[in-house]
Amino acid sequence: MSQGVAHVAGKERLSLPSMFSLLSACLAVVCLFSLLFGAGEIGPLDSLLILLGKLDGTTAQYAEEAVFVVQELRLPRTLIGLVVGMALGVAGALLQAVARNPLAEPGLLGVSAGSAFAVAVALMLGASAATLRVSVAQLGALAGCLCVLAAARMRGVGNDPVRLVLAGAVLSGLLGALTSMILLVDQRTADEIRFWIVGSLAGRRIEDLHAILPSMALGGVVTVLIARPLAALALGERVAVGLGHHPQLVRLLVIGVVAILVGATTAVAGPIAFIGLVVPFAARALAGPDIRRTLWLCLPLGPLVVISADIVSRLVVQPSELPLGVLTALIGAPVLILVVRSQRLPTL
Amino acid sequence: MPHDARQAEAQLHASRDRLQVAPPEGTWRLPLPGSPSHAMLLDKRAVSANLLLGSGLVTVALLSLCLGSAMIPPLDAIRALLGQGDAMAVFVVQELRLARLMAGLLTGAAFALAGCLMQTLARNRLATPGIIGIDNGATAFAVVSVVGMGISLAPPPMALAGAAVATAITFGLAGGAGTRGYRFIVAGIGVGAVFGALTQLLLARVAIDVANSAYPWTVGSLNARSGNAVSILGAGLALGIVAAQMLARSMAVLRFSDAVAQGLGIRVRLCRLLALVLAVALTALAVAVAGPVGLVALIGPEIARHLSSRRGVPLIGSALAGAVMMVASDLAGRLLFAPIEIPVGIVTAVVGGPFLLWILLRPAARDLT
Repeated sequence: MSQGVAHVAGKERLSLPSMFSLLSACLAVVCLFSLLFGAGEIGPLDSLLILLGKLDGTTAQYAEEAVFVVQELRLPRTLIGLVVGMALGVAGALLQAVARNPLAEPGLLGVSAGSAFAVAVALMLGASAATLRVSVAQLGALAGCLCVLAAARMRGVGNDPVRLVLAGAVLSGLLGALTSMILLVDQRTADEIRFWIVGSLAGRRIEDLHAILPSMALGGVVTVLIARPLAALALGERVAVGLGHHPQLVRLLVIGVVAILVGATTAVAGPIAFIGLVVPFAARALAGPDIRRTLWLCLPLGPLVVISADIVSRLVVQPSELPLGVLTALIGAPVLILVVRSQRLPTL
Repeated sequence: MPHDARQAEAQLHASRDRLQVAPPEGTWRLPLPGSPSHAMLLDKRAVSANLLLGSGLVTVALLSLCLGSAMIPPLDAIRALLGQGDAMAVFVVQELRLARLMAGLLTGAAFALAGCLMQTLARNRLATPGIIGIDNGATAFAVVSVVGMGISLAPPPMALAGAAVATAITFGLAGGAGTRGYRFIVAGIGVGAVFGALTQLLLARVAIDVANSAYPWTVGSLNARSGNAVSILGAGLALGIVAAQMLARSMAVLRFSDAVAQGLGIRVRLCRLLALVLAVALTALAVAVAGPVGLVALIGPEIARHLSSRRGVPLIGSALAGAVMMVASDLAGRLLFAPIEIPVGIVTAVVGGPFLLWILLRPAARDLT
């Protein structure tokens, strides 16, 4: 079927499975790099030897340290990058489909900022960081999503994609300012989430990943279930009803899934903007407008972008590190400008 | 609206020709000494609005001299300002609070004046320097000089360079004079995001204590000001207000379409360019003092426009309103959670954010004209 589409489009396009496998291969290479390179003094060659289990010829202390760095620091980081990238890419594609707006990105529209703010408030009210974070972040993300949906339904805003983004940027700015106010006032909260609030994969433990896996699995299952109705919805409300779907239910489910995915990623990696914009943008450019094809390509593309950015963030300012959000902004803002500048915004 | 303006213009000419003509409604006729055939028309509402804002500014300024960790009664504060009273009060008022007050006053006025100019020349009330990324550009360049990357220029010239670069990029990307509405703004947001990320990158490369000392300034604070930058800003603002007043008439006409403005004898492109240069310079000098406090540039002109008449562009009113807002926000930031100080940039963001959302989302967005 995908070959048929490529044929109709009249372009030389790879079929979906081959594109998917190509991107997955790239992703595997990037993951390997992520294990090999780092800000510390453990070089790529030693890391490779550790992965193969054959590090020798060095002092015992160095070997121990190197094994720790690769297995306890870089491995969780890479795995978390994998999950976070997938979730953010898919969430971006879903939100864009349901808001019918190629600029609707969870980070830009205030969903991530909402969940970060919720976590900060919960901590200020006395919750402890370890237990509550995921569910609170998801609640905050849900509130952010509902705000976005409400704004998109407002007259005049819904059919002007750029205005929605502007409102979202303002909302993020406002929530960000409120969050920093909490951090300034409440020292304990600031200490607990100082390194989390900037958005980074550094220093995350494998337990953090375990905490969000159930949410991710739930999000994935629901996404698989609603992909088909969502594709029908792209053809218009009436067509979707005619094909036997319930548009309102589908929208609600999508909002729920986006909240679950974005909330979970924010809980583990902090607010990271622009991934949900860049990844679906690239996926659509590669696979065309069908949401099902886009979603497939988002799966390898998201982690590809996140882990590459993470590797660069480790290497740019050695021996310290750069917050991941800085790099995603550097990649994502030009894409944002590109999309806005194109004469006719593609309607979804 | 064009009809009104033409009418006003016609009436103005009539009043020049015949001496004893009643001034247009809502204005005062102020005869100029020495030349009986010339007179100035003062807009009643604009004058009263400026008086109102001016008295508000005096009140807020006095409050910010009195309030703080050491409370000083108003009368003592005024005496201390004149160098009388006990030495402690004189020190607190003159050395600590007055410098901060001046910094807040000047930056607020400069930001808001620049915002008013930009809004008028882009015919878009959202097109303030902070939103389209000029603030962030100036900050990124100024941080280079603060963190000492081997460039030993003071913050003001670096901020000027950064603001100019950011403006050039935004306007270049928007394809000219920025008449493409919201797209222009979002392109500016993108440019701002890139420069914001560059600032973070710069701060990540230097030692942690240097980065910490530069941090409050990157969110907008009056704490990290340098006296030198404040005096440069003072000079720049004085020049800027004079220049803005000279442009005021053209700016009022610029609110109509290009064809109408040209028909009324305004060189539209030149006027836009001058206003843009002025706005960028004012923003950059203010950023060099206080960091990016962009929302003042949005709200100051908005308040001034509400208070004064719709006939002209409220340049002076904007500057006054911006100064009031900046000084009041700084005062609130100092007092609310004392002894912890909230940077003024965060206070204005919390106050201004909902307001900006309201502008964006209200059902029928009224245009600037």
